Amino acid sequence: MANTKVAVIAANGSLFDAYKVFNIASAAAASDAEVGIFFTFEGLNLIHKEAHKDLPLPEGKEHFQEGFKQANVPSIEELVSMAKEMNVKLIGCQMTMDVMNLEKEDFIEGIEVGGAATFMEYAKDANITLSF
Amino acid sequence: MDAAKVLDAKGLACPMPIVKTKKAMEELNIGDVLEVHATDKGAKSDLAAWTKSSGHELLKDTEEDDVLKFWIKKA
Repeated sequence: MANTKVAVIAANGSLFDAYKVFNIASAAAASDAEVGIFFTFEGLNLIHKEAHKDLPLPEGKEHFQEGFKQANVPSIEELVSMAKEMNVKLIGCQMTMDVMNLEKEDFIEGIEVGGAATFMEYAKDANITLSF
Repeated sequence: MDAAKVLDAKGLACPMPIVKTKKAMEELNIGDVLEVHATDKGAKSDLAAWTKSSGHELLKDTEEDDVLKFWIKKA
């Protein structure tokens, strides 16, 4: 998948959403695709310095906690650091950050901050576009 | 089959087997064979898909006692 560009929008903030986003992103990056993720609204939790370490399960799905352990699924922290290692571009949405009163320093190291136009510019020639 | 390196990815869940395979592959020379052991049932189709999309060659794969084994030649 070299010469393949993947553009992802992460707009939700539960543990399930985090796995959907980071599993696809890591798989794509491990297959040599160029990957960029735009985090907006609740999706910002996925890269928030503290929040991403302890994301909630969706309401009523708390019983899956045990399943995650049994399946030996990597932690979100682990997936984030792997994604970064594989040069996945992480873009935080400036507008949502303003609404939520968050600064770049509230997020993990290495993110970029931009608006919708930043993502559009990145995604305009993407081969695969996904929204979670 | 002579493998230059054996990667033990047993017990790891998706997407770790392919992430680890990618990393292990980076350390090998072109033409070298990487042997991967995995227990993630999804690895059977995932590693086949990964070798295809990354341009390497899946020489052989086997399954015994719930352990999937793959031999991948670096392109």
